[in-house]
Amino acid sequence: MRNKVWAIASSVMAAGLLVAGCGGGAATNNTAAGNQTAGQGGTVDLSKASGTVVWAASPITTGTDLRTALIQAFEKSHPNIHVQLQEQSTNTDTNRGSLTTAIGSGSSTPDVYMGDVVWPAQFANSQLALPLDEYLPKDFWDRFSSGLVDGATYQGHIYGAPFFADTAFLFYRKDLLQKAGLPVPTSWEQVEQEAKTLQQKGLVKYGFIWQGASYEGLTCNFMEYLADAGGQVMDSSGNVTINSPQTQKALSFMQDLVQSGVTPKAVVTDQEPQAMSLFDQGQVAFLRNWTYAWNDSQNPQNSKVVGKVGVIPLPTFGGPNGYSCVGGWDLMVNPHTKNLAAALAFVDWMTGPEAQSILAKQFGELPTNKQVAQDPSLKQVSPVFAVLDKVKFVPRPAQTPNYPQVSQAIYSNVNQMLSGSLSVSDTLQKMEQQIKSAVSGGGL
Amino acid sequence: MKPSMGAASVSEAAGERGRDILAPDRRSGYAMMLPAVIVILGVTIFPILYSMWMSLNDVRITLNGFQLSFIGLANYSTLVHSGMFWHSVWFTTYYAVVTVVVELVLGMLIALAIHRVQRLKNLSLVVMLIPWSLITVVSAQMWAYIYNGTYGVLNGILQGLGIIQAPVTWLGSESGAIICTMVADIWKTTPFVVIILLGGLQMISQEYFEAAVMDGANRWQVFWKVTFPLMRSSIALAALFRILQAFGVFDLPFVLTGGGPGTATTSLAILGERSLFQNLHFGVGAAIAVSTVLVVLILSLIFLSAFRGMAEEGA
Repeated sequence: MRNKVWAIASSVMAAGLLVAGCGGGAATNNTAAGNQTAGQGGTVDLSKASGTVVWAASPITTGTDLRTALIQAFEKSHPNIHVQLQEQSTNTDTNRGSLTTAIGSGSSTPDVYMGDVVWPAQFANSQLALPLDEYLPKDFWDRFSSGLVDGATYQGHIYGAPFFADTAFLFYRKDLLQKAGLPVPTSWEQVEQEAKTLQQKGLVKYGFIWQGASYEGLTCNFMEYLADAGGQVMDSSGNVTINSPQTQKALSFMQDLVQSGVTPKAVVTDQEPQAMSLFDQGQVAFLRNWTYAWNDSQNPQNSKVVGKVGVIPLPTFGGPNGYSCVGGWDLMVNPHTKNLAAALAFVDWMTGPEAQSILAKQFGELPTNKQVAQDPSLKQVSPVFAVLDKVKFVPRPAQTPNYPQVSQAIYSNVNQMLSGSLSVSDTLQKMEQQIKSAVSGGGL
Repeated sequence: MKPSMGAASVSEAAGERGRDILAPDRRSGYAMMLPAVIVILGVTIFPILYSMWMSLNDVRITLNGFQLSFIGLANYSTLVHSGMFWHSVWFTTYYAVVTVVVELVLGMLIALAIHRVQRLKNLSLVVMLIPWSLITVVSAQMWAYIYNGTYGVLNGILQGLGIIQAPVTWLGSESGAIICTMVADIWKTTPFVVIILLGGLQMISQEYFEAAVMDGANRWQVFWKVTFPLMRSSIALAALFRILQAFGVFDLPFVLTGGGPGTATTSLAILGERSLFQNLHFGVGAAIAVSTVLVVLILSLIFLSAFRGMAEEGA
């Protein structure tokens, strides 16, 4: 019997260690350090670029694939370059996991990848992205709408070319407001009040839905209320300044939305798809969601509210036109790429007027190229474009390589507060303490 | 493996005739084993040792690959001083103990029932296996739909029956989320326990039961004095498999709650994934993985010695 116990115990050990093996299993391949093109800096001549570029990108659109449309158009204008699409997960964190594992262990592909706008600091710090400003001419960066390049900059270098932007809007039910004789709301307080009225009149089940699950999306929602209240997570020199009356105001408002029943309690498990489907099913009067929500709500296959929806910029406390969180994706280049010229030619074209027009006019994504963004004909594509120039942008505090931990400190505590088991002041204190620990590189 | 085993038994039998004749066989046996050994070393032993080594280092990604600088137990010190880590240890242990115990009890009851009603055995086995054969991410999505606080099926049923008035956000409170995750786990993995226990049950000779009944034992006594002791090894096997799996629980809470609300259902595996693949803190992540192994090892040994005592007492 004793032998048996030890036999089982040792197999437990072996199996258990497998878990550990999987956990830390990233390999230690040394990179081919002498890679011919990247590494020495200096503007690269793109005119003679040829060969293959592997582009890692997660699906952007449902239905017709924007990525393949862009690749086809690119290959037409650059017959010497072939682009191979490497499929990535739609889950941003899974996507990051596979990219860091591949590039961290020295793989030369993908050459170009789509990186979330909150990645540059972390990727720069871990040398997972090439400082593009060293290889592209200075005037390359003039093509982008203001503010976007700053978000891709870390310690003076630019690590990503803004590819397409995304931001949040307030979608509302025109028909319900009309029925109740209510105006389109012009402040957060009015949104809450009108939602309550619509519920009381029995016109709709829920008032206002947004994203309150324990994940990155909640950080975005929180940043908007925080900026509207005049607060910030960190000041410009990186000091944590979140413990303020402004944060208290933002948190109290979010808590009140749930407690007053305007927002269903289930918001604590809602990400974008759940919130969207509640709106599409006609169960809620107001929705905070990203650009795609317009097309989604106007698709008769999944939506019961086609033709009944209006869109405005998110309001602020006591007035209209508040802050919207900056989302979207950059194009980043693998520092181990073996075909830098072709990779940069691809980035150049993808952020140029032709690609950006395809992206905006045919697929309704927000372009990053100034010239395309200012094209007046865009306003006919979607009402979202028509209100875009009134939107004020708030970035997430992603200037630290430890941003993922900062965000976890925000969303896990705000989520706990929304679920009712943490008071506003305790939430504030826990967030401050955990963010401080994260920024200093400590903690979990 | 086979050639060497064959060679060993033949050499024992051949004993006196001398070993030298068989030496070439033995050598070729080892040569044949070599590829398998190399693969195991490469994919199992090396990563294990390497992640142990990583957990003692500050790990950074550089242009020249991973750069390790030895920092001793500093990563472990980070863990020990973090409330989050202890919370995860507590949650994972609690989760493993509760789900494994419930699954064993339920599994035993179902196995006994299936064993007794032989007629429907195949059909019931097939039905039982459906939850087990579903990919966890898929069944977790299904459970997320059942538990959903606005359009969930569970609320629909309970409201229809008049048991609750307003919809409940089942995953929205800490205790609710923990219980709901456990229920989904028990639903999915009890069939696995049933299969193993049923196998053990079928190996017991009918004669033991007949003898016990002839001696005047009632059903309760038959179970505790005959069935249970004879099924020790199957129970231990099922329990150990389940403890190991329950300790690595990731997909269920990942889909159902994302580790929330707050951090209520953040298991060690979710914490490790966050450190490794979101925060890119490889050293700390490796330390979490190694610590998980230690905890699961301790728990398994406690279980084995407790179970041994219990089973011997029963016999």
